[in-house]
Amino acid sequence: MNLLPSDEQTGIVEASRAFLSGQLPIARTREMFGESSNIDAGAWSEAAELGWFGLGLPERFGGVGCGLADEALLFREIGRSLASGPFLSTVVAARVAAFAGHADLAEAIVSGQPVGFVVAESHGTVSPDGVLNGPLQLVDASGDLAVVVTPTIAALIDVTQLHDVEVVESVDPAVRLHRALAHNVIPGAVVAVSIDPVAQRAMVLAAAMLNGITEASRDIGAEHAKVRVQFGKPIGVNQAIKHPCADMAVKAQLAYAQTIFAAASLDEQRSDSEFHATGALLVSASAAEFSTAAALQILGGMGFTFEHDIHLYVKRTHLLTRLFHGTSHQLGRLIDLPLAE
Amino acid sequence: MELAFTKAENEFRDEVRTWLGANSPKGHRPRSLPEMREFDLAWQRLQFDAGWAGIAWPTEYGGAGLSLIQQLIWFEEYAHTGLQPIDSRFVGLSHAGPTLMARATAEQQTKHLAEILRGDVVWCQGFSEPEAGSDLASLRTTAVVDGDQLVINGQKIWTSFAPIAEWQELLVRTDPDVPKHKGLTWVICDMHSPGIDARPIRTIDGGTEFAEVFYDDVRVPLANVVGGINNGWSVAMSTLSFERGTAFTVSQMQLSSNVERLIEIARSRMSFNGKPAIADESLAKRLAAVRAEVAALRALTYLSISANLHRAEPGPEGSMLKLQMGDLTKQVYQLSLEILGPRSLNRPENEDDSYWVDRHLEAFSLTIGGGTSEIQRNIIAEKVLGLPR
Repeated sequence: MNLLPSDEQTGIVEASRAFLSGQLPIARTREMFGESSNIDAGAWSEAAELGWFGLGLPERFGGVGCGLADEALLFREIGRSLASGPFLSTVVAARVAAFAGHADLAEAIVSGQPVGFVVAESHGTVSPDGVLNGPLQLVDASGDLAVVVTPTIAALIDVTQLHDVEVVESVDPAVRLHRALAHNVIPGAVVAVSIDPVAQRAMVLAAAMLNGITEASRDIGAEHAKVRVQFGKPIGVNQAIKHPCADMAVKAQLAYAQTIFAAASLDEQRSDSEFHATGALLVSASAAEFSTAAALQILGGMGFTFEHDIHLYVKRTHLLTRLFHGTSHQLGRLIDLPLAE
Repeated sequence: MELAFTKAENEFRDEVRTWLGANSPKGHRPRSLPEMREFDLAWQRLQFDAGWAGIAWPTEYGGAGLSLIQQLIWFEEYAHTGLQPIDSRFVGLSHAGPTLMARATAEQQTKHLAEILRGDVVWCQGFSEPEAGSDLASLRTTAVVDGDQLVINGQKIWTSFAPIAEWQELLVRTDPDVPKHKGLTWVICDMHSPGIDARPIRTIDGGTEFAEVFYDDVRVPLANVVGGINNGWSVAMSTLSFERGTAFTVSQMQLSSNVERLIEIARSRMSFNGKPAIADESLAKRLAAVRAEVAALRALTYLSISANLHRAEPGPEGSMLKLQMGDLTKQVYQLSLEILGPRSLNRPENEDDSYWVDRHLEAFSLTIGGGTSEIQRNIIAEKVLGLPR
């Protein structure tokens, strides 16, 4: 048992942090708000060359062959930097294509073909074999493909088969959103959870992004508490400010710990991985919701402006939570999931 | 990163589980103090005779000298016995004992450490005073050197197990004219000394293990001073780190298995509307939320132990674990009352449902004792995030 990152894993963290701060900082995300695409073509193809879209994919599928824990460390950095682009759905899609036997497609996605994320508007929209019927939303579906994830299957669909596709303004200005209607859309590739637990892996990666967001918010809040002076003293001397800062620090550590615990569970194929992955998503979402709101409150009026970045973290937290149909839905699932001793 | 334990560690776990299963005391722990003392010490003697006492104590002090991972395994398995995580052995085994190992003379160690391991004695802690709670260093109980003795006068409070203890780790003021942290001394006090009056304080759960202790010209040999006169603050602080992240493992594992038990109870027990308690969606989701939080607490314990294997001084996770442990425990047992329904009003000794009510009442102490949650938050904000004092 050892939950510390190895030297190789620390290397992944440092390299990804350097790449993101150089190529995809928040300033770059902001620059693309008004543009039709939120993908920086240069940075995206460099990320593909670095192997980011197949980091956790076995080498026989053209991946790098690292574990989910390594991927989670990368996604924590992507979350922290609010990097623009469909990183999560593209990585998940590469896995679906690979495990469904579509080797060419898997290779194309690993090489940088971006894939969007389907958010079904109701439980009944996705049938047990991945057939779609009903209203849904598409997150960052700039190409023809989008990935559908449920606890039991993961599938790839061709978005050109959808009806009434319309662009809608997104709460999170960093993503591109469509609304659409599916009439009996049959997926091009389907992977059952018994073949590969794609949904659980997706939850862990989303949790890791939420961990990065929580840590970034904690740091923004704590920094402001140190430098903002009122009544002749830094506001951080007051326990009304100090204590939520401490709570952000505690929640960040707990959520990160559960995320890597879940990632290691999946890497080691433990019997209660689904519980741990779902738990990671829940505690990470709750930590991110708390910390983004607490940091915003500490910032005062500045936190309510579009100019300050904190609202982008608030909105990204909301987006990541909605991808899995919200906290209440996941709590309803978790109560019945088996937990090994 | 890996979760799996080694083959040798798993074999150790099997051995511990088998021994605890066969030997841990069965039945309810008595509520009366003298009987409780006998129950706790008999259990310590049994562990000592079988070679399990002082699992993480170095062999030079009579301990088993095992690794941090083996200590974690022992605590995890211990939690399955359902025994109280903290009993009258706690101060001796987890506080005074480690302090003596770190700071006492060889003579002091020889006299006291073996007694603690064998289950011969109970220790208590004399730190808090009526006017020195969170601001511990402002304590006023005085000790004046007179020949080869200290003469102690004053009052301590919140001293658990004082009425049944042989020894006390006592923090006193030996120099009133220096800054408050610099005039303190840590001394071993014989609780049977003339001039000591330990008066029980009845607690929220009706227990009498708490006490206030009065000192009226109590004479303690200078040979009982640990770490030197006026050096008591550093001695007191040196122990807080001893458990290196494993201190709350038993409590945390027990909380985890109790959440699972509560889910079982909620499935089988009918609520007021005639349906199983778990059919109430709001209750089920609150249970799910604490289930996930308890899992995260365990993950942080594992992360903290992983880090402590590679560093001499434990990290700030200790304060984080304690803080979260207290808040979460209160939530879980508050929830247990709702699941028990009307039976949560009953509290007869030796009845299974009373267990939950006892835990609920006891939980209030967890965010107060050993440094309040407010103090823990100050520590985390200042030491981890660098916020100003």
